[in-house]
Amino acid sequence: MLTFLPYTLKSLWRHRTRSMLTISGAAVALLVFCFVGSVQRGLFALTENQEAGRSLIVFQENRFCPQSSKLPQDYAQTIAKQPGVADAMPIMVFTNNCRASLDAIVFQGMSTDLLKKWRKIELQSGAWETFARQDDAALVGSAVAARRKLKAGDKFTIGDITVMVAGVFSADNAADEGLIYTHLDFLQRARGLSDVGMVTQIEVHLNDGTNADAVAQAIDAEFHSGPVATTTRTKGMFQADTLSDLAELIGFIHYLGYACVGLVLSLVATTTVMSVQDRIKEHAVLQTLGFRPQRIFGLVVTESVLLSLLGGGLGIVAGMLFLAWSGMSVAAEGVTIAFRPSWQIALQGAVASLGVGVIAGLAPGWQAAHAKIVSALRHA
Amino acid sequence: MSLVEVVDVVKEFKSGEETIRPLDGVHLTIEEGDFVSLMGASGSGKSTLLNLVAGIDEVNSGHIFVGDVDTTQLTRGKLADWRAAHVGYVFQTHNLIPVLTAYENVELPLLLLSMSAAERAKRVEVAMAAVDLTNRAGHYPRQMSGGQEQRVGIARAIVTNPTIVVADEPTGSLDDDTTEQILTLLQRVNRELGMTLLMVTHDADAAQRATRELRLERGHLVENGKPILPRALRTA
Repeated sequence: MLTFLPYTLKSLWRHRTRSMLTISGAAVALLVFCFVGSVQRGLFALTENQEAGRSLIVFQENRFCPQSSKLPQDYAQTIAKQPGVADAMPIMVFTNNCRASLDAIVFQGMSTDLLKKWRKIELQSGAWETFARQDDAALVGSAVAARRKLKAGDKFTIGDITVMVAGVFSADNAADEGLIYTHLDFLQRARGLSDVGMVTQIEVHLNDGTNADAVAQAIDAEFHSGPVATTTRTKGMFQADTLSDLAELIGFIHYLGYACVGLVLSLVATTTVMSVQDRIKEHAVLQTLGFRPQRIFGLVVTESVLLSLLGGGLGIVAGMLFLAWSGMSVAAEGVTIAFRPSWQIALQGAVASLGVGVIAGLAPGWQAAHAKIVSALRHA
Repeated sequence: MSLVEVVDVVKEFKSGEETIRPLDGVHLTIEEGDFVSLMGASGSGKSTLLNLVAGIDEVNSGHIFVGDVDTTQLTRGKLADWRAAHVGYVFQTHNLIPVLTAYENVELPLLLLSMSAAERAKRVEVAMAAVDLTNRAGHYPRQMSGGQEQRVGIARAIVTNPTIVVADEPTGSLDDDTTEQILTLLQRVNRELGMTLLMVTHDADAAQRATRELRLERGHLVENGKPILPRALRTA
């Protein structure tokens, strides 16, 4: 079939306006498909990764927004003594918007040592020393830096909090790139002295083989009759609970992905049908020259696949570039879902484009291949 | 053995409730190197007979042998392969592929046959030279006159060195001068290249260029005023 590729390409070029419109429509649809895919993958990565099941989040009982959860910082020392616990990490969380937002800024204040130990981050610019020696220093995730156009050395103010950007980091977990890390005591004092000695949550890291549910129950039982009762869940469950409303919405928008695929199918099939109807006589001439019906079928399907792949490829590349450059994320109640490009999404898009191209070409291909030659030659 | 043997071919069409039978037991023998012209009234079935010999239409009954192959017994796919190797078709309206250059149009049937690119190029050049269009190889059909398009159509028909070239009113859409050029070219194809031709025409002058003139009358072929009989009766 490659022998006839130049003919197929020239046939597409013959009606270039129609072909371009179809390709651009398919491109837009695949761009949306990739965006929807990245939102879903972002949520999945947040709730299903290995770390999400191997660490716990201790939150104040019956509290949901980080602004309202206040735990005594010294709970961390008690928790650290529980069997199976490797580390207990007190974290102060501040967000400028507890509701779902595409531009929420989430600060996490924690000790430098624990930050280095438990967060898999790598500085793209700036230095750890600058962060360590300056009280108001902050390490800014690359997604936030891209969104807010921040670089090392900048001052950045949000609400009552002003920080100096000591570095910009990338992280293994894309959602972490939507965070800003500060010193714990800085964030505790930033909004007055009332929060000194209090933290929003305690992140508990478990030893291998430890039963996470049992430790969670033990922690909650420990503080049940204390000054502040706690609710302890695995990190994955905590994030899933926190984002439950958003997760439902994200679960629903995967239908939008299917709709995009359907749209491409409809576009490509319409164009291919029109192309075949325009060339009934031409296909009959080809059959007269000795083209087998299967070859005619193949030519039509190839044309349809090329349209779909060209449009899809364009949309996938545009989607990946957009996701990479925009650093987009959505946050709710201090938890961030990152929208990141990935080869899995690109591959899904490419497979969808290929499948749609084949399906869209089946009916017109069959029509072209099975036309009666003599009748088709009389076609105007 | 004759090159083409049409044996008792019947072809019927439905036209509403009516059944039309333009070919009602047709017999025909074409020898290698013949240039046969076929005339007849409009709707007499001459193009139908040509299409049956070319293998692009199906008989209701009867047989068509080309060489030792009964083309009426071939499946659609096999028939397509057979056409690619054995039939050159010249259309009335040229029917060149508009997105391909003259060269590419002539090369197109060769892409269906297994041969090297060098052999293909050589054959195309020979065919283009035969129709005297080497200098128009890179031109698209829209950039050529009707006569030039028809010459490209003839080059496309002869490039595979087919067993038979069929031409369906090849001068039907051309002016007198161009008609003369095309008929001369078809005669050269027959005489100089030794190819067998079957040409349908409604033009008596064009028909006289052939070595044999046939007429289709009331569903039967007539040659020199006599009906063409089955081979068995002819030899008896």
